Amino acid sequence: MNIVVCISNVPDTTTRIKFAEGSSAIDTAGIQWVINPWDELSLTRALELRDDPSSGVKKVTVAHAGPASSEPTIRKALAIGADDAIRVNCTPSDAYYTASQLAAAIGKEGFDIVICGIESSDFNGSAVGGMISEFLGIPSVSSVSGISMENGMPVITREIDGGRESVKVTLPFVAIVQKGIAKEPRIASMRGIMAARTKAVRLYEPVDADCLTEIAGFEKPAPRAACKYVDPDDPGKLIELLQNEAKVI
Amino acid sequence: MLKQLIFTVILVVTIAAFGYTVNRLIKLFRLTKPAFPVRDWGKRVNLLLKVALGQSKIFRRPVVGFFHALVFWGFCIIIFGSIEMVIDGISGAERSLSFLGPVYDVLMAAGDIFALLVGISIIIFTIRRSLLHVKRFTGVEMKSRSHVDAIVSLSLILLLMVSLILMNTGYLGLQLLSGTEIHGSYPVSRFIAGLLPGLSASGYSTLYHINWWVHILTIFFFANYLPYSKHFHVFMSVPNVFLSRLDPPGKLDNMESITGEVKLMLNPDTAYSQAPAGAVPERFGVKDAGDVTWKNYFDSLSCTECGRCTSVCPANLTGKKLSPRKVMMNLRARMKEIGPLMVKNGQDYTDNRSLVRDYVSEEELWACTTCNACVQECPVNINQPSLIVDMRRYLVLEEGAAPGELKSVFSNIENNGAPWQYPADDRLNWTKNLDFEIPVFAGLPAETKPEYLFWVGCAGAFDDRYKKVVRAFAGILNRLNVSYAVLGKEETCTGDPARRAGNEMLFQMQAMQVIEILKNYEVKKIITTCPHCFNTFKNEYPDLGGNYEVISYLQFLESSISEGKLKLDHRKIKGTGITFHDPCYLGRANNIYSEPREIIKTLSPGLVEMKRNKSFALCCGAGGGQMFKEAEKGDQEIFIERTGEALETGADTIATACPFCMTMITDGLKYKNREENVRNLDIAELVAEAMEM
Amino acid sequence: MSVLVFTENWDGKFKKLSFELVSYAASVAGMMNMKVTAFTIGKAADEELKELGRYGAHRVLSLVSPALEVMDNRTWSKVISDLAAKEGSKIIILSNNMTGKALAPGVAVRLKAGIGSGVSRLPVSTEPFTVYKRAYSGNAFANVVLRSEVKIITLAQNSYEIIERPAGAIPETVDVDVDQSLPATTVTSTHKQTGKILLTDAEVVVSGGRGMKSPDNWEPLVELASLLNGATACSRPVSDEGWRPHEEHTGQTGKIIAPNLYIAVGISGATQHLAGVSSSKYIVAINNDKDAPIFESAQYGIVGDAMKVLPKLVDAVKNLKK
Repeated sequence: MNIVVCISNVPDTTTRIKFAEGSSAIDTAGIQWVINPWDELSLTRALELRDDPSSGVKKVTVAHAGPASSEPTIRKALAIGADDAIRVNCTPSDAYYTASQLAAAIGKEGFDIVICGIESSDFNGSAVGGMISEFLGIPSVSSVSGISMENGMPVITREIDGGRESVKVTLPFVAIVQKGIAKEPRIASMRGIMAARTKAVRLYEPVDADCLTEIAGFEKPAPRAACKYVDPDDPGKLIELLQNEAKVI
Repeated sequence: MLKQLIFTVILVVTIAAFGYTVNRLIKLFRLTKPAFPVRDWGKRVNLLLKVALGQSKIFRRPVVGFFHALVFWGFCIIIFGSIEMVIDGISGAERSLSFLGPVYDVLMAAGDIFALLVGISIIIFTIRRSLLHVKRFTGVEMKSRSHVDAIVSLSLILLLMVSLILMNTGYLGLQLLSGTEIHGSYPVSRFIAGLLPGLSASGYSTLYHINWWVHILTIFFFANYLPYSKHFHVFMSVPNVFLSRLDPPGKLDNMESITGEVKLMLNPDTAYSQAPAGAVPERFGVKDAGDVTWKNYFDSLSCTECGRCTSVCPANLTGKKLSPRKVMMNLRARMKEIGPLMVKNGQDYTDNRSLVRDYVSEEELWACTTCNACVQECPVNINQPSLIVDMRRYLVLEEGAAPGELKSVFSNIENNGAPWQYPADDRLNWTKNLDFEIPVFAGLPAETKPEYLFWVGCAGAFDDRYKKVVRAFAGILNRLNVSYAVLGKEETCTGDPARRAGNEMLFQMQAMQVIEILKNYEVKKIITTCPHCFNTFKNEYPDLGGNYEVISYLQFLESSISEGKLKLDHRKIKGTGITFHDPCYLGRANNIYSEPREIIKTLSPGLVEMKRNKSFALCCGAGGGQMFKEAEKGDQEIFIERTGEALETGADTIATACPFCMTMITDGLKYKNREENVRNLDIAELVAEAMEM
Repeated sequence: MSVLVFTENWDGKFKKLSFELVSYAASVAGMMNMKVTAFTIGKAADEELKELGRYGAHRVLSLVSPALEVMDNRTWSKVISDLAAKEGSKIIILSNNMTGKALAPGVAVRLKAGIGSGVSRLPVSTEPFTVYKRAYSGNAFANVVLRSEVKIITLAQNSYEIIERPAGAIPETVDVDVDQSLPATTVTSTHKQTGKILLTDAEVVVSGGRGMKSPDNWEPLVELASLLNGATACSRPVSDEGWRPHEEHTGQTGKIIAPNLYIAVGISGATQHLAGVSSSKYIVAINNDKDAPIFESAQYGIVGDAMKVLPKLVDAVKNLKK
């Protein structure tokens, strides 16, 4: 069985996002680019399955839609252990466009399961995974917190309100996963880093696709008001404030 | 004639047996990796005189140490007599060395006296071992074999001493009766002879000959028993001290194989090309006995299982599984298990077991704080931490298997240049609202070259408590009009936590980045408030091409005070006393003990020492990556133990000189509910308080 | 032409979330001079559907079919896009909860619609159609233009108020045709936490961190939560240590919640924890350490010993209820 893991290239989560108020582009100077945290966990799970001889998973490929500047991030994924990578050479403008490109390229590869993270930490769109499944005409399962193999068939854990379900889906399918899919992200071993430098990254040229949304401008979040302190010897005052001022109880 | 023949045959058999053992050992040594070239013979001879001959480390436990010193010196003296006995045995002569005259008298007398002293010491040791419960002699690694081994060795030594005295007694008796000249002087035996009932001449002769043979045969037997016993240290200790690792304990060795790979990665031309053949080692770090260096193996053979290392290990003291002694014993045992099979079947032979996991568990490895207390204590200069870190290197570099929190630390250092998740942009937040300017390299005009780089460190930049310390120190620099600048947002982690945790790759990437930045600004001198940054800049960066004059802020403050540049109003610090918690990375790692004390002594109310201070100081528990992870399972936390010790001094100020120590001691005060009346301040803050502002 | 709003049902019933969605849809419809059609998939009683009408829906539908018993993403999203096509809806609104995120992308591809996900305000403008949404995990907000003819909005939870605007809707139950080639999901077992107030539904959450010192100290915290009709939560170290069940872990790697009131007791406020609760309307911090970073994100704070403060808070709430 082959797994394709879609990865997104995002700014490291501690980065101070800088932009001119109202500008539609952020200042990329000094940004450290990393694999989207949800995708890192997806990749970790896929590799855990591949490394387990009883799972039936033989190959893990990472797929990315992005320009050449994304190479280091793809190499990082290879260093962590992915067998190979495909990159669609384009600028990922919005979810619909990105999903179109990824679906077209993945469609040309042989695969059984596509794993996508629920969202990327830059645009928090939560759409690409579901769109890829629709473009490819294959089923998808969302809110996936666990994927395991039983007798060579995947068993999925899907989160629902107040609990979880064990789910079976026909192959091939797209799993849209959230945190819980893997305990912590894998790190690259020394040999992984060394091998990554020479593993294959196959290039695809982009297909014609539309971009349906556009960022008109960014705004800074409203600053929070300073904290109002209540005397620890008179906590009842807090309840008063919560009832009369904040009106939350 | 017959005696000579028999003796020579026995001697040859003994030497052959010994030769066989030595040959086996040499073959095992051939399986190991290179360590370091043996240079600086002057320093090494000095160490021999101090540590071996002077028993300086043994005396760290003064009472027991004294008795051991007696035994060691006794052996050194008695060996002359033993050599004479061998010459006598082969040549058929008697007392062949007596031609040395007065020197011979001294040697024999000394041997005789020491025979008694050693005998008494051995009896004391045996009683102690058998009747008292000595914690150091217990442990999961101390199986009955170790105890039996000890009793056997003690018995043999006692036998040697008794036989020597009886031999001398017999000799004296015989000579006195026959009126023959007595060669040598035997005060003790003379006294013993007086106590024993008188014997006939043949009686004395028999006494002499029997004990002569008992003595020399015991030596021959003992000599061949030793290599299989923990008492191998009788042979190995002196050479092991001579072959000591001379680097400061705080320095961890550079992995050259990684350096090659990092350079390839950083060079855009070679970033995607194959590494040159031969540059890739078979294994990164230590997984099994075949991966260790010859020095590691020599260490394991020299280990006496005395347990002094384990008895001062902060992890072991607080109930964690780590025991430095166990690590060394495990290596010796594992080499014994797999070594001969590898010699027979080739280096690639595997029995599907290894030193890591089958002998030394991951839990043990991850409990180490790299405080170097074990290194400080070991009487034969074994270096345990380098082996522990080499095993961590295997886990991280080959398997990517580190505790989750350390994996996050690695990601953070890689992605945002600090062990915690803070952006580089925030690195100057500590300078806000200061009433003086902090010069930043990037903002200086091109021709301005400050004398010092003040390296703030990640804790100084991001830890809310430690920001106050760097602010205080910057205030001092400002007051003294020192020519300095900080890197500000260009500062990035030195890589120290990565290296201690075994991620050599990440450490070297960080180090090379930092070296590049420092090269850019032509930095020559660095002052830093963090002992970990200090240690790595001073001892480890030169291996990667970074050579600077590295000054700890304590050294800087002490010299400023003693040169009169910094005037302190000593009355400004009130209270009952100041006690100083030695940071492992300045103290044991770099031998800096006196400077902070000199500084504190200029402040009132003055210094009170904790029970365990200077080279005996107990680690705060945060080193070796522990700061960033949950403690391994144990009875109690190290920091609580150390804070308790500090509070026992009655001092109401606990002075620290490290951001990790400060976090731990402050937490300790909170845990013990003493924050109201006991302060934890950094030396810089104390000095700032006492400065005439 | 109507604004179509998907209101998920839970065993045939609706929640506060559903009414927020309808209120929002009604406001958007008002901006565009359109009517609101609210629909749910699966059987819902007429009384429940009428409730949706109270908040501004002109038509309320319950779409049923045996093939829709189990949520299969593609099957359900086709049902939604078919309905949108039939209604001629140009604006489709779903919640940004798990179900909404599962269904919106499929609808978007079928209708070639642009999605504004995690929107938290009414559209900034209707021409071009621009929505305000969270970006960079809360570090910035973006105004996003949806250029397509059909537009999809997923509404962030607890970001819009409930407004009563009865529109006199008559409930309809519709049997829908389902494309039988689509359903591909089978549920083999379900495990539900029963009885407790769901963390993700709770309006008030009382959460404990390492500063609580021991699992034995949790009673007053649980009592406070129960008195306030809230749920209990915890920080990651607490769930790692096993002091509290994993389901209670809120934070970047746990649950992300947005209650009206989040009371953090003995929690220092590390970034990873705040990432899970920063969208809360009000954050109250109780911590011994006055320098704890949580106070920077809290609107109200008490610097004190949790063990002493919690019982007093419990008493104060009990007094309130009298």
